[in-house]
Amino acid sequence: MEKQLSLPRLREEMTSGMLCAWLKEEGEPVEAGEPLYEIETDKVVNQIEATESGVLKKQLREEGDEIAPGEPVAVLETE
Amino acid sequence: MERKPEWLRVRYNQEAVEEVARLMGELKLNTVCKEANCPNLGECYRKHTATFMILGSECTRNCRFCNVTAGHPLPPDPDEPENVAAAVKRLGLRHVVLTCPTRDDLPDGGAGQFAATLEAIRASCPGTTVETLISDMKLDTKALDTVIAARPEVLNHNVETVRELQKAVRPQADYQRSLAVLRYCKEKAPAMLTKTGFMVGLGETEEQIEALMDDVLAAGVDILTIGQYLQPSPQHYPLARYATPEDFARYKEKALSKGFRYVASAPLARSSYKAWEALEGVHDLH
Repeated sequence: MEKQLSLPRLREEMTSGMLCAWLKEEGEPVEAGEPLYEIETDKVVNQIEATESGVLKKQLREEGDEIAPGEPVAVLETE
Repeated sequence: MERKPEWLRVRYNQEAVEEVARLMGELKLNTVCKEANCPNLGECYRKHTATFMILGSECTRNCRFCNVTAGHPLPPDPDEPENVAAAVKRLGLRHVVLTCPTRDDLPDGGAGQFAATLEAIRASCPGTTVETLISDMKLDTKALDTVIAARPEVLNHNVETVRELQKAVRPQADYQRSLAVLRYCKEKAPAMLTKTGFMVGLGETEEQIEALMDDVLAAGVDILTIGQYLQPSPQHYPLARYATPEDFARYKEKALSKGFRYVASAPLARSSYKAWEALEGVHDLH
């Protein structure tokens, strides 16, 4: 089953964050709890963990992109 | 925005964060983790720990480093002490940190709510230790006595920055007053552990940091926390520099050599981050 993953709202006033790095390539398996990508916000770089296991099917955004909370970032193929 | 150094990376798990946030929402509680936009929120919530911010989420002061909203806070919620105790029980916390926005509007600075919350935690979670991270309560000794009488295991009050930067960084506070709060509490209850913390990266010098250590040590402080200042937004006090993990190791060594009983010094060390480790660390020395 395909599941679209969106950027969580990392803090209440957050308007956007910068995608600094993908930590998984397309086609790579991902375990729940493993970091999938990095988002830089005002204070730190946040490594966003996958909340379920699967295969990273598609990276929807590129490194350097500014992303708003709720916007789709990736497609995960789950069982 | 300056790129973040590689040591300022934190993990974020949406499910874990939402679970703790839901509990806080149900019980109408605030956490300083959320209000201060703490970088460790993801890690702490994942471990089912949080620092409760009692007495509302709005502060009567407007410190330039702090993300907590300045405003006109509401009167204390009479249900809050019981609700905090309920959350402590549900999270299974063995050590609780209670903090507050500064409540200059309340005659007792919020001391009564601290005492009531401590009492509620004691009643429902007898084995749990409590740390109160208080404001300066305008050095009102009656208010401080109320907190001390509730017998927290640790009394924490942050000096936040070196003497020279106080006016610029926390204009409505005062370095000497903060030292006096720490000194008074230690003299009043010598067996109670006292704790303070400060940030680096605001433009302070090494000499000023050393002088701060000497000042708080002379005020009887047992536990010291040192962490990196992280600018919450472009409107907040400007960041001067990122100290390296090696800098923090040096500060720790320096502080321990001066005689503090426990020192937490790391880029992401915060006043309440892994606070139980400091308590256990001091007790291990006994």
